[in-house]
Amino acid sequence: MRKGRYQWPIQLQEEDHGEFTSDIEHNETMLKNIFRNCSDIVFRSIRADEKMRWTVVFISTLVEDKLLEEHVLGPLLEDRPCSDMGLRPAMEVLKDRFISVGTVAITSDLSATVRFVLSGYAIILTTGDNRAMSVSVPGKAKRGLEEPSSEPVVRGPRDGFIENISTNVGLIRGRLKTSRLKLETLTIGELTQTEVMIAYIEGVADAAVVDEVRKRVGDIRIDGLLESNNIEEMIEDVTFTPFPQMQSTERPDVVAAGLLGGNIAILVDSTPFALLLPMTFWAGMQSIEDYYIRWPIATFVRWIRMIFLVIAIFAPALYVAITTFHQEMIPTSLLLSIAGSREPVPFPALIEALLMEIIFEALREAGIRLPKQIGQAISIVGALVIGQSAVEAGIISAPVVIIVSITGIAAFTIPRYSFANGVRLLRFPVLFLAGTLGLYGIALGFLGILLHLCTLRSFGVPYFAPVAPLSIRNLKDIALRVPVWSKTRQPPGPETGNR
Amino acid sequence: MIKRILRFALLTALLPTAGCWDRTEVNDLALDMGTLFDLTEKGDLKATIQIALPRQAGMMNGGGQNKKFFVLSETGKNHIELQQLLQDHLSRRLFTSHRSVIFISERLARKGLEDFLDAFTHDPHNRLRTFIIVVQDPHPDRIVQIRYPFEEAPTEGVREAEILGDQLATTMRDFFISASSEGLSPVTAAIRSDASSEKNAEAETFRLSGSAVFKGLKLAGFLNEKETNGLLWISGKMKHSRISAPLPKGKGIVGMILVSAERHIDSEVRGQKVKFNIRLTGNGDLFENNSPLDITGKRNLQLAQHALEDEVERQVRNCLNKLQKQYRSDVAGFSSVLYQNHPHQWRRIKEQWDDLFPEADIAVSVKLNLRHSGVTGQPLQLKEKEIEK
Repeated sequence: MRKGRYQWPIQLQEEDHGEFTSDIEHNETMLKNIFRNCSDIVFRSIRADEKMRWTVVFISTLVEDKLLEEHVLGPLLEDRPCSDMGLRPAMEVLKDRFISVGTVAITSDLSATVRFVLSGYAIILTTGDNRAMSVSVPGKAKRGLEEPSSEPVVRGPRDGFIENISTNVGLIRGRLKTSRLKLETLTIGELTQTEVMIAYIEGVADAAVVDEVRKRVGDIRIDGLLESNNIEEMIEDVTFTPFPQMQSTERPDVVAAGLLGGNIAILVDSTPFALLLPMTFWAGMQSIEDYYIRWPIATFVRWIRMIFLVIAIFAPALYVAITTFHQEMIPTSLLLSIAGSREPVPFPALIEALLMEIIFEALREAGIRLPKQIGQAISIVGALVIGQSAVEAGIISAPVVIIVSITGIAAFTIPRYSFANGVRLLRFPVLFLAGTLGLYGIALGFLGILLHLCTLRSFGVPYFAPVAPLSIRNLKDIALRVPVWSKTRQPPGPETGNR
Repeated sequence: MIKRILRFALLTALLPTAGCWDRTEVNDLALDMGTLFDLTEKGDLKATIQIALPRQAGMMNGGGQNKKFFVLSETGKNHIELQQLLQDHLSRRLFTSHRSVIFISERLARKGLEDFLDAFTHDPHNRLRTFIIVVQDPHPDRIVQIRYPFEEAPTEGVREAEILGDQLATTMRDFFISASSEGLSPVTAAIRSDASSEKNAEAETFRLSGSAVFKGLKLAGFLNEKETNGLLWISGKMKHSRISAPLPKGKGIVGMILVSAERHIDSEVRGQKVKFNIRLTGNGDLFENNSPLDITGKRNLQLAQHALEDEVERQVRNCLNKLQKQYRSDVAGFSSVLYQNHPHQWRRIKEQWDDLFPEADIAVSVKLNLRHSGVTGQPLQLKEKEIEK
């Protein structure tokens, strides 16, 4: 690995603020200085007796008021813990007897305390103690669990990840009730301090891969981490490829299934998309729902997807190649009807196909970006103006419209969104090859894509495995979707022998 | 690094060596759907091509002219010259890959196809699946002028009629195989336009009118539809057919539809004497019974069966007579039967086969099996007492 690969160009120097002392006034001033001009920071002082007082520090926009009042401010005000409570430091006594919150930490490290404040903890300072207690009273805005919009299923669980990492982890833990599910937390992003978790099942995931992932993720130096794609691009093996080497998903059941299969998941706070790795080509072509419907149907659907994958890449190219280079290959009556519809068209077939493909891509893009209320207008314009009027006006021939529509549908049959994006992009170079070299060009393009796919690796796993390198035993779940009882990979756990 | 670049350069240099750089748009092609070759008085080759006019779907009700094709004619010494002359009429590249039929006029066929066929074996745009048909018409041009209402082009209709298999169909490939085989001669279908009179040049359709028998590469003569039927029987190409035969004592006519047909040929060679025994078997349904006979009775059924068998035998006999005595041409494949069954004797006599075939002793026996006579039943139009049990 090249040195400094994960270095982000801008580096912020950590400010030196000094250290906590046993003087509460000093500690307060220091924190006030750190959070100067932050209008949402709150310093709440509570006098215990003449000698000592408590100061609670929190960011009002990050904490839940109710929790704060009930578990922190309430005990401090009503039970009035004071200095003469015993021999032990007041803070320890407070923690042991008064604060009724699970996650509590006491530290004398200033920068750690600052991080706690920024993460939605309430900090309690007290007179004569050079430590601060952090109490978790999280109150970040979060939405409810919804059906994941990028990976809907007909049959299967309907919950999806949300932007809150602890909720997401909970969704996974709820499915994998084992202590072997390990979650390692890292904080990435100089400014965002984003929580990132590496999840795997010990004994199922390859320990070497876990080490590699831990190392690569740990090496990331970046200012802001807002989405899991930022991590993906930082740790992937090959950059110059349209194919994703990590599977992104917003479904907890997909992550659970992946973990059970020995994959490693990377969860990122503030995005519903988790990463699963290593990924193979076939994972890109499979949907989790394949395992939720009966196996003959799932097998059939997998074959349909493979057929439409080929169509998604090669259909416009084949049309252009055959109609401009190999007219003798078309059945006579079909050729006559193609020739008839091309009669008024002023463009060569390649330009025609390219034009329609680009218009289709634009329609698709516009459809995503537009507010939902205007979305219908786009489909009307797309279907009526381009589909019908262009053909009637003799600018575009009907066969090209049909081909482009089929190609468009074909790309949507690919279940993984990021994988489908790569496939859509490949259509264009292949189309150019077909327009200049005919079927020979398509053959070249196909070989090129195949070579590229076979050289790709995702965390040491060949992208085309188990087809290349071939492993017949594992093919059962590629070409077919064999019944669950005959799957090669067993869920972890002691062999009971009665399956 | 240099090695890598070199390797890459070598590989890229390979790319253009394999390419065919003939990019043509579909609407820059003139699709030749069928070509008629004729012989002029001066002995030149005359080609008449039928070029399809592709029409836009859904635009057919536009009124005005609704032509599906047009016809172009040129005279030249050979194919190359003809192609150039025809191309000079056109703004689009002449494209023969979709030619479905090659018509040959009787005049040209009688002169012989020796110096005509060569171009078809070389041109990659020429398909060996193209049908070859002899035009049995005093005005051969009319066959490419017919306004056939079905299909995109009239000759496409001819092709599909050939595929139906009711009549003999010969492709270029079949033609070349039989022309180059020892002892065999080619046979093609014959066609004529439906034009009734001299004036009415543009007929609605065509008629497949039997077959054209070659002797070597020269046309020897034609077989009519019934004789062609016999030829199909003995050459084992019979798929399905309709046979009708008069019953003895003028009782009426019966007709059957043949569903399956088989032939067996036994051969025997004694010195210079060649004997064949053809056994034809067929299954079929009695389809028409214009006699008062009740066909459900076994005796009557056998009567009809024998009448039909006699008719088939007559067809085959007529065909064999013409082939043996009149045309002296073995187009039915007797020589290949000999080659398969008696290879040693065949090697001895193959030089004299042209003389031996007309003298060969050929016996024909026919066995037809009429099924489903119960479905045919008694004639419904007759009164009970008129029906002969």
